[in-house]
Amino acid sequence: MKNRTLSLLLMLPALLLLAAVFLYPLLRYGWLSLHASSVLTGLVPIPNGGANWGRLLDDARFWTDAGQTLRFAFCSVALELLGGLGLALLLHRPLRGRGPLRALTLLPWALPTTVMALGWRWIFNDPHGPLNAALRSLGGSSYGFLSTPATTWFFVVLADVWKTLPFVALLLLAGLQTIPADLEEALRLEGATRLQILRRLTLPLLVPYLTLALLFRLAQALGVFDLIQVLTGGGPAGSTESLALYAYLNAMRFLDFGYASTVMLATFLLLLVSLGGGWLLLRRHGLARSTERAA
Amino acid sequence: MSPGFGNGLELRQLGREVGGRCLLDRLDLQVAPGECVALLGPSGCGKSTTLRLVAGLDPASGGQVLLDGVDLTGRSPGERQVAMVFQSYALYPHLSVEGNLELGLKVRGMAPRERQRRIDATLELLQLGELRQRRPAQLSGGQRQRVALARALLRQPRIVLLDEPMSNLDAQLREDLRPELRRLLCGREQPVIYVTHDQQEAVGMADRIALLEAGRLQQVGSPRELYTNPANRFVASFLGRPAINLLAIEPGRQLGLRPEHLRLGDDGAVAARLLRREWWGHQQLLWVDSPWGTLRVLTAPEAPMPPEPRLGWQRRHELWFDPDSGARLAA
Repeated sequence: MKNRTLSLLLMLPALLLLAAVFLYPLLRYGWLSLHASSVLTGLVPIPNGGANWGRLLDDARFWTDAGQTLRFAFCSVALELLGGLGLALLLHRPLRGRGPLRALTLLPWALPTTVMALGWRWIFNDPHGPLNAALRSLGGSSYGFLSTPATTWFFVVLADVWKTLPFVALLLLAGLQTIPADLEEALRLEGATRLQILRRLTLPLLVPYLTLALLFRLAQALGVFDLIQVLTGGGPAGSTESLALYAYLNAMRFLDFGYASTVMLATFLLLLVSLGGGWLLLRRHGLARSTERAA
Repeated sequence: MSPGFGNGLELRQLGREVGGRCLLDRLDLQVAPGECVALLGPSGCGKSTTLRLVAGLDPASGGQVLLDGVDLTGRSPGERQVAMVFQSYALYPHLSVEGNLELGLKVRGMAPRERQRRIDATLELLQLGELRQRRPAQLSGGQRQRVALARALLRQPRIVLLDEPMSNLDAQLREDLRPELRRLLCGREQPVIYVTHDQQEAVGMADRIALLEAGRLQQVGSPRELYTNPANRFVASFLGRPAINLLAIEPGRQLGLRPEHLRLGDDGAVAARLLRREWWGHQQLLWVDSPWGTLRVLTAPEAPMPPEPRLGWQRRHELWFDPDSGARLAA
C-alpha cells in the first residue's frame, strides 16, 4: 500500500502537466459547447443548454466533413501501411548503399508539411504544373487535379501518403530488425517460400509495430489540418474539408467559439472511437498473443 | 571409420570467401550415415560457416556438398532435407510448442491428420506432451532446447546439423543432456554434424572430431587419435585441460608434454620447485618452476612430494613441434 502511495506521488507532476495541457482544454471545450459564445453575444458565453449539440446533429456540413475526414484517414493510413511495409521489407534486405538509401527515404517526412504541401500544389497545378506538362507531352490534356470535386480528395491522400509513408516504413523497419535472422533461416530450412515466411512469421511478429503505426497515423490523419489548409483550403466546393478545418473555420472565421468547441469535441470523440476500434481489431489478430509475457 | 564412397555426407574442397576474407578454406570431410562428427575450434574458426554451407543458408564460393553421392551444392535450403538446431534454438515466439512443430509441416503442405500424428509421436519421444500449449517465453532453457530438437527430428531429415545446441544451458544441465542427445540423434541413418567450441562436449558427443582453426581443418579423427597423436601444436594445445606444456628445450625443436605425463620424483632430469597446488578432488594440479619456465603437472591427489623434487617424463610421451610453423616433427 505504501508503495502505491509513493508511486502515485511520483507520477503526480506528470499527471498535473497532462491535466493542464490536455484535460483542462477538454473540459473548457465541454463547458463552451454548452454556451453560446460568438460575435453575436459579444464573445460573452451565455448558457444555451444543448443547442450547440442539436445544431451539430442537423449540420449537413459537419456530417459531410466527418465522412470526408474518415475517407481521407482510412485511405491514407491503409496506403501508408501497405506501402510502408513494402518499403520496410525492401530496406531490410541487404542492399548496396542501404544506409544512404534509408536516409534518403526519410526526407519527405523531414520536410515541413506546409513546404511539402506548397510543392504538391505546384505539381498538381492546372495547367502549368509539371504533372500536367507531363500529361500533355504524353498526348493527353490537362487535368484539374485540385479543381475536380469528385477526385481531388484522392490527390490529397497521395500527397499525404508521400509525406508519411517513410515514417511508417521506418517504424516497421525497426520492427523487422527486432526479428532474429535465424527464425527466418529455420523456416527457410523447412522449405518455406518468401511469401510463406512473410505470412507465417514476419507479419505476426510485426503486429505490435503495425498497431503502433496504425494508431499513430490514424490519430494524425483524423486531425489533418495543415496539409489540406495549404493544398486545397478545403476545396473545391468543400470536397476536401476536414473536421479540424471546419472547427478552425467556426472559431477563426465565423468567430463562433461555442459551436467550434462542439465540433472539436465531436472530432475528439470520433478519434477515440476510431482508435479504439483499430486497436481492438489488431488485438484480436494477435497483438495480445505476441506481446504476452511468460505467466 | 571413413565412409565408403558416395555413402553419407561428403564435403569436397568446400570453401567460403566474403569480401576477400577467407572464412573456410577448401574443407574435405566425410560423415558416414549415423555418424556424429563434431566440428570443434575457437570462435571464428569456420565451424558455423561450414554448417551454414551444408544447410545451404550461405552460398559456397567453391567446392561441393554431396549426400549419398548426390550434389546438393546448388540446391536451396528447403530442398536439402536438412534439420538444424540453432544456438538460439530459433523457436517462433508467437507460436506454442505445438505450433512451432506444426509450422514446418504446414509449409510443406502435409495433411492435417498426418501432421498431428507426427507431432504427437515426437512430443512423446521427447516427453514434451505437457508443454504443448506453452509458448517459448514460458519454457526453461532446457525445455526450449528439447523443443528445438523435436522440431529438427520431426520431419525425418537426411542430415542433422547442430550449432552449439548446449551453449545456452548451464554446465550441469549440459552434462545431463549429453547422453540423451546422443540417444536421440546419433546411430540413426542420418549423418550428424555437431558444432561446438567445448572439447568436453565434442568428446562426449562425437564419434570423430574435426578440429578447425582460422578456416582450415587441422586434423580429423577419433578423440583419442587427436589427443595422443596431434597433427600439430594447435591440436595438441587445444585438446586437453590443463593444457599441454610447451618447452623450448633445444634450438629448432619444441617439446610438448601433457601435464599428466610429467612426474615429480627423486630421480628426474632437472630440479624443480613447487609454486602452487590446485586440489581438484580426483587429481591435483601442480604449478612448478623449472629451467624451462612454469610448468603444469597433474598428479594423484595424495601423491607424496619429495623434499627436493626433480622433474621427469618418459620418452614415448614426447611430442615434438617446429617452433615456427607448429608442425609436428618426428620424435
